[in-house]
Amino acid sequence: LPICPSGSVNCQVSLGELFDRAVKLSHYIHFLSSEMFNEFDERYAQGRGFITKAVNGCHNASLTTPEDKEQAQQIHHEDLLNLVLGVLRSWNDPLLHLVTEVQRIKEAPDTILWKAVEIEEQNKRLLEGMEKIVGRVQPGDTGNEVYSRWSGLPSLQLADEDSRLFAFYNLLHCGRRDSHKIDNYLKLLKCRLIHDSNC
Amino acid sequence: MIMKASLAFLLQEPRGMDLWQLLFTLALICANDSLPTSEVPLGEPQIIKCRSPEMETFSCHWTDGDVHNHTAPRTMQLLYMKRGDEEWKECPDYVTAGENSCYFNTSYTSVWIPYCVKLANENKVFDEKCFSVDEIVLPDPPINLNWTLLNISLTGIHVDIQVRWEPPPTADVRKGWVTLEYELQYKEVNETKWKELEPVCSTTVPLYSLKMGRDYEIRIQSRQRTSEKFGEFSETLFVSFSMASETVLCAEEIQFPWLFIVIFGTCGLVVVMFLILFSKQRLKMLILPPIPAPKIKGIDPDLLKKGKLEEVNSILASHDSYKPQLYNDDLWVEFIELDIDDPDEKTEGSDTDRLLSDAHMKSHSCLGVKDDDSGRASCCEPDMPETDFSASDTCDGTSDTDQSKKISEKEETLLCLDQKDNNKSFTNLDDPANQQLISQSEDNQSRPPFADSIESPSPVPPVRTQLSNQSSVTNIDFYAQVSDITPAGSVVLSPGQKNKTGRAQCEAHTEPAAQCQSNFTMDNAYFCEADVKKCIAVTSHEEVEPHVQDQSFNEDTYFTTESLTTTAVNPSTATEEASSSEMPVPDYTSIHIVHSPQGLVLNATALPVPDKEFMVSCGYVSTDQLNKIMP
Repeated sequence: LPICPSGSVNCQVSLGELFDRAVKLSHYIHFLSSEMFNEFDERYAQGRGFITKAVNGCHNASLTTPEDKEQAQQIHHEDLLNLVLGVLRSWNDPLLHLVTEVQRIKEAPDTILWKAVEIEEQNKRLLEGMEKIVGRVQPGDTGNEVYSRWSGLPSLQLADEDSRLFAFYNLLHCGRRDSHKIDNYLKLLKCRLIHDSNC
Repeated sequence: MIMKASLAFLLQEPRGMDLWQLLFTLALICANDSLPTSEVPLGEPQIIKCRSPEMETFSCHWTDGDVHNHTAPRTMQLLYMKRGDEEWKECPDYVTAGENSCYFNTSYTSVWIPYCVKLANENKVFDEKCFSVDEIVLPDPPINLNWTLLNISLTGIHVDIQVRWEPPPTADVRKGWVTLEYELQYKEVNETKWKELEPVCSTTVPLYSLKMGRDYEIRIQSRQRTSEKFGEFSETLFVSFSMASETVLCAEEIQFPWLFIVIFGTCGLVVVMFLILFSKQRLKMLILPPIPAPKIKGIDPDLLKKGKLEEVNSILASHDSYKPQLYNDDLWVEFIELDIDDPDEKTEGSDTDRLLSDAHMKSHSCLGVKDDDSGRASCCEPDMPETDFSASDTCDGTSDTDQSKKISEKEETLLCLDQKDNNKSFTNLDDPANQQLISQSEDNQSRPPFADSIESPSPVPPVRTQLSNQSSVTNIDFYAQVSDITPAGSVVLSPGQKNKTGRAQCEAHTEPAAQCQSNFTMDNAYFCEADVKKCIAVTSHEEVEPHVQDQSFNEDTYFTTESLTTTAVNPSTATEEASSSEMPVPDYTSIHIVHSPQGLVLNATALPVPDKEFMVSCGYVSTDQLNKIMP
C-alpha cells in the first residue's frame, strides 16, 4: 500500500484505492455480523421461539435508504455517500454498548465477544475511510449530518433474561441487515464512480 | 387468529415497548407450535422455498401435498405481507415462475425489508414463512462455459487449460448490485466424485495437470459473496483429450519407475557382493591400503632393538648429513635426558661433591646453583673476574658463542702465556676440545671429566661445564682418570698425563688453533667428533700421543656410536699409545663393546679395574652408568 506522509500534496491514495479498502472493510463487517448473528441464534434463540425476521424495525428506520436497485441507481452518489455515513454513525453507540453488554450474558462464548469487539473496531475504521472519501468526492461539504439516536440500551440491560436476549437478537439482526446494506451501497458506488458502471 | 393479531401488531410500528412485549409474549405462547415450516405435517401443502436470483425479484414455490385426502382441487393462495403493510395481499403472479409458484417482480420486491408469505386455502393456512430478500439470494448458473489450451507438458502426458465463463445474465454484476463468487468442479468422465476448486471472484480459472487421453467434465456454480449457499450448477462442459491421444505414445500412466530402480539396484548389489566375496584381499587392499610403517632408509629397526650399534653406526656413518645433527641436537637431547629426578642421583651428586670438595667448593656451589638453570650452563655471572679461573672455570658454561669466543680468545692468550710460563701439559691448543675448554675456563686443577659430569646434575651443559672445568690453561690435564672407586664411594683418581700435547704449541699452532677455535666457537655446542678431528689434523705429529689420546679422549668426550666404533677400532692403538707415553696411564679407557643401554665394556688396559664397566662419554655419564660406578 502506498505510504503518504501527512501534509504532502502530491502523494495521495487514489479514490479507487480508498473505495477498494472501504469495500473490503464493509464486506468484512457484514461477514462478522452474519456469523455473530448465526451463533447467537443457534445458542440463545432456539427454543425461545424468537420470531425470526419479522421483528420490529431497527432504530435507524428513520433513515430512508434505497430499497431496490432502481432507487439505488437513481439516488445521487453524494446523497448515497451521506446516507452511508449516517448509517455508520448511527451504529457507533449501539456497537459500543453491545461490546460491554454482551459480556454480561451468561456464559457468552468467546467467539461472540471477540466478534463484537472486532465489529466495533472495524466500524470506526470504515467511518474514517468514508469520511475521507466524502471529503474527496465533495470537498468542503460535510453533508447532512443525519443522526439516529439509539435508545436501546435499557433493553439490553433488562432483568428478565428472555427479554434481554430478545433485545440482543434484535440488535444483531439489525446489524446484519445494515452491514449488508452498506456493503451493497459501497459496491454500487465503486462500480459507478471508479469503473464507470462496468465492473 | 391470535397469531394473526399478534403478527399484525408485530408488523406495525412499535407504539410502546412494554405493550408490544406483552403481546409478543402472548404470541409466543400461542404460536409455539405453528412457526417452523418443517413442522407442517406430511402430505400437507408446503412452501418449499422462496428464492431471489438477483436481488431484484423473488419467487416462492410450494407443494401441493397429497391430493388424495381432498376431493376437490384446491385453490391455493399465497398471501404476503411486508412491513408497513396492514394486511395480507395475494400473490401478484402465479404463472411466471411455473406451477405452484408465486413470482414477485421488481415492483413488488424490496430488499432489506422483512416479508412474510403464507400458503392458505380459503380459510386454512398451511404454511408461513418470513424472510428478507437479501437473505434468499441464489444466483442463476453461469453461462457460456468454454476452455482454451494453456500448455502441454514436455512429456506430453499432462495438459493445462483455462476455463472461462460468463456470469448469469440475470445478475447485474456490472453495476455492482450483486457480487458473485464462483466455484468450479471437474472430474473425469468415468469418475463419480467431483473435484472442487477454491471459490474465485473472477470469471476465468486455470485448470492444471489434466491428463492426456482422458475426457473431463466441468461445471460451475455461483453464489452471492456474502451468502453461504450456492445456486444452481451450470451446464456441464465436456473436455476431451482422447482425440489427441492417438499421437501420444505413452498411453499408460507412468508412475514413478519403481520397478526399474529395484531391478537395477538388485543387479548392482549382486555385482558388488560378487566383488567382495571373490576378491576379498584385493578389495581390502583397494579400500584400506596399508599404511607403511615409518622407517629410516637403510636401517632395519630390528637392529636398533637388538642393540647392534655397530651396524647401525655404520649405516649412520654413511649418511654424511647425519653427523652434524648428531652433534648439535642429539647431544643436547642426551644431556637433557639426564634430568635428575632420581633421588639416587642427588646422592650421587653429593658424592661428587665430596669428590671435588677440596678443589672447588665454589664451583660446586656454582654448579649447584647451576642446577636451577633452565638447561643453560649459565650459572655464575659472566662478570666474574676471569682472573679467578677457578671460579670461572666451574661456572662459565654459557653457550653463547660470543662469550665463548671472547673468552676463548682471552683464554688463548692466557693459555699461551701460561704455556710459556709453564711448560707443563698445557691443554692442547690444537686440540679443539682443549680450545673449547680453555675458552671456557681455566681450571688449574685436574678434574676427572666423569667427575665433573657426575657432579653436575644439570644435564644441559654438563659437557660445557665439564669442558670448562676441564680446560686448564696451563697445567691442568683435561681429565684425570678414575683409577678406582673405593667401597666408601669415593673415587680414586690417577694422575693425568704430563705430556699433554698442550705444551709449547702456542705460537706454532695459534693459527690452526685459532682456526679450530673459531670453528669451535662457531660450533656452539660440541666440538667433539668432527671438529676435533679437523683440528687434530692440523696438529703436528709430535702430538701423536696426545693426538691419539686426545683423539681418543676427544672421541670419547662425545659418546656417539661412531666414536665408539672408532675407539673400538683403536683400542690397541690407544693402549699402545698410552703405554708408549711417559705416563702409562691413559686418559681414557677405550671402549670395547657397547651394551646399549646398559653400558659399555671397556678394554681392560690401563684401568686396574677391568671388571667394571666404565662409561666414557663426553663428560656425560648417564644415571645407569652412575649406578654402576657407585656401589
